Amino acid sequence: MLKSIASNLHDIWDVLSAEVRRVFSDKTTLVIFFLATVVYPPLYFYIYHLEALHEMPVAVVDLSRSDASKRFVHKLDATPELTVACRCTTLPEAERLLADHTVKAIFLLPHDYGSALAQNQTAHVTCFSDISSFLYYKNALLGGSNVLLDEMHTIELHHQSTEGITGQQAEVQVQPVAYDDVKLFNPTGGYASYFIPALLLLVVHQTLFFGICVLCGDANENRRALHLIPARLRGRSIYRVTLGRLLCFLLIYIPISLFDLWIMPRIFGLPQLGSAVDIILFLLPFILATTCFAMTFGNLFSRQRMSTLLCCLFFSVILFFLSGLVWPQSNMPPFWLAFSYLFPSTPGIEGFVRISSMGATLSEVRGEYLALWVQSTVYFITSYLSLRFIKRYRK
Amino acid sequence: MLYRVIHRELRRMVLQPRYLIILTLGAVFSFHFFATMTSEGQPQDLPVAVVDLDGTYLSRRLCHELDATQAVRVKAVYTSHTEARQAMQRGEVFAFYEIPAGTYNEVLQFRSPHFVLYTNQSYLLAGSLSYRQLATMGKLAAGAVQREVLRKKGVDEQQIMGLIQPVALETHAVGNAKANYQVYLMTTLIPGIIALMAMLHTAYVIGRERQERTVRSWMRKAGDNVLVAFLGKMHPYTFHYTFLLLVAEIVMYGPMHFPMAGSWPLLMLLSLLLVFAAQSAGCFLMGCVPDPSVAMSLTSAYGTLAFTMCGFSFPVDAMPLPMQAFSLLFPLRHYFLAMRDVTLFGNGLAVCWPQVCILVAFWLLLLVGAAMFGRQYERRVAC
Repeated sequence: MLKSIASNLHDIWDVLSAEVRRVFSDKTTLVIFFLATVVYPPLYFYIYHLEALHEMPVAVVDLSRSDASKRFVHKLDATPELTVACRCTTLPEAERLLADHTVKAIFLLPHDYGSALAQNQTAHVTCFSDISSFLYYKNALLGGSNVLLDEMHTIELHHQSTEGITGQQAEVQVQPVAYDDVKLFNPTGGYASYFIPALLLLVVHQTLFFGICVLCGDANENRRALHLIPARLRGRSIYRVTLGRLLCFLLIYIPISLFDLWIMPRIFGLPQLGSAVDIILFLLPFILATTCFAMTFGNLFSRQRMSTLLCCLFFSVILFFLSGLVWPQSNMPPFWLAFSYLFPSTPGIEGFVRISSMGATLSEVRGEYLALWVQSTVYFITSYLSLRFIKRYRK
Repeated sequence: MLYRVIHRELRRMVLQPRYLIILTLGAVFSFHFFATMTSEGQPQDLPVAVVDLDGTYLSRRLCHELDATQAVRVKAVYTSHTEARQAMQRGEVFAFYEIPAGTYNEVLQFRSPHFVLYTNQSYLLAGSLSYRQLATMGKLAAGAVQREVLRKKGVDEQQIMGLIQPVALETHAVGNAKANYQVYLMTTLIPGIIALMAMLHTAYVIGRERQERTVRSWMRKAGDNVLVAFLGKMHPYTFHYTFLLLVAEIVMYGPMHFPMAGSWPLLMLLSLLLVFAAQSAGCFLMGCVPDPSVAMSLTSAYGTLAFTMCGFSFPVDAMPLPMQAFSLLFPLRHYFLAMRDVTLFGNGLAVCWPQVCILVAFWLLLLVGAAMFGRQYERRVAC
């Protein structure tokens, strides 16, 4: 009994060391495993490190030229989101500036702005915004509505004071119910804190997937799939091969993923609320599931070294959208939601973002955690079966 | 000469159509995916929660009013902050209102009570949409109380409106009036995906010649002119992917009614230029790196970066300066800028000529790539 366990372990060790040698002697795999995972994270940090668009240039068309409208324009200029770059006298003039991208939005204060306010009627401000990037639109909306709220407050206090109501009483009349807003987890609404954790997890997922598929493609292309199996193991159960290879990628990817998902965010000062233990415990089934998924896919479909990169790269974009970070999962059609759980990246991104950015504990991401373990198990079995299928078929 | 190379490539394509079929299906799949995934235009009925510590008529009315809006729905009413926070961490709700105990009493006593609105900004789109809706509801709740007070004072209805809301702001997105997220996503992502496929496929077929050691026969067909060899190899794919992109655009701007303010011929020209520029970049990388599968992985890295560097999600003007310069190296960036001019602003060549010129300038990459390839061919590296 002991002897058979020892011989099994010995076999697995043989496969593992052969696979490690194969990884380190293949230039393409080295580029994908080690170069991509080291270059991408700092690059993305650098791209997004300014977090948001500040002082976006806008044009103002003030047709009213009253005190109130001038105050509105001043306040617009004072917001961190917007800066008044041009003051135009007519709308068509401002529209030309918008069309040639000198400004990203126009604020139009109509003729009757001042008089409407004086007569206690609602004055209407119109904003036209560029929407080629949603961030432009968001800035115009955010800056505009902050000024609007502030201006409403000022005007209402003014109304109250003309009626002889001042101080605390006026405040209560103007704002009978107040609200404070607390932006959780990403208080500045910054882009880096939102985007990068998910992006890094996807980088780990995709590099692992493509690296393994390159190796499988190489083996399939040269009809060497079975050369993976040490000679004395041929004809015996190939679960050892699957397990040995799995351990090899696990050994390589645990340090890589800790570097990308634990050390890098700390170096670049991204919020990281989750505990190290939770992150490691969460990443373990993620790497297992991704490796087994990639081995299954690679064994069955990767016919040449380059074919998976050619055919599956566009899918990275789709995987990102399937994760629910952009388009919320609550609004996905049920079919796509079910489809998204075929891929380890979906529960991976959901769970990791919640642990790392939102300070969730493992028990709060247990759905995702369980999904990753289920995927690991299922894909381990399929990768075993796929190798067996190749063995039968090639004989 | 060119014709002979094209003919040879077409034969190779027909003999091994696997990847062409897979990629075409992939493009159709991507189109279908984005079209069905984001068909709502903007996410609607986002789940939010209310922590009702007050439990009075006022707080219940607020719940009902929130639920009645199009943007959000009240998924749960909790009785403690911790429960709501955990629901947020489980990803069940994107925002919640906390209504403190004694709110209604304070309103009656003319002391302004404070609600607290928590939003989860880890989800940028869902977080900010639910924030906007909940903040508006906060204002409306205040307005409702004010209105009651003013009515009791005998102020007439029209004046009440002016008093409660002295200023209103209307926001229009130019060219995309409803701020439709689908329009915004698909008009850039679909061309991006097709250009990525064109680039990889071109790089792949060139690399394949090296792997199969057939470079010599390929060059012979081109009369040992590397540029002709490259052009002949590219053309079938230029045609195929431009065709796919045009079909996608016709479907988007036609039956799907995406906004189209400018001229069709210009958009078509841009599509062709995008595909060809992406292919040139692929040729360049294949020409520079002798090992085809290393070159392929570098091409992939460059290709995926395009989605970030084109600046459709995070604008390039918000990136650091060196990255703004770096963004010039991506054809998708120039297509995106020009496409936005044509479809949203209705601008013509007068405004977007720089983008057209830069896309044409990408052909230089093809020349450099071909030259590098030619030198390796002369030295008999991997033929």
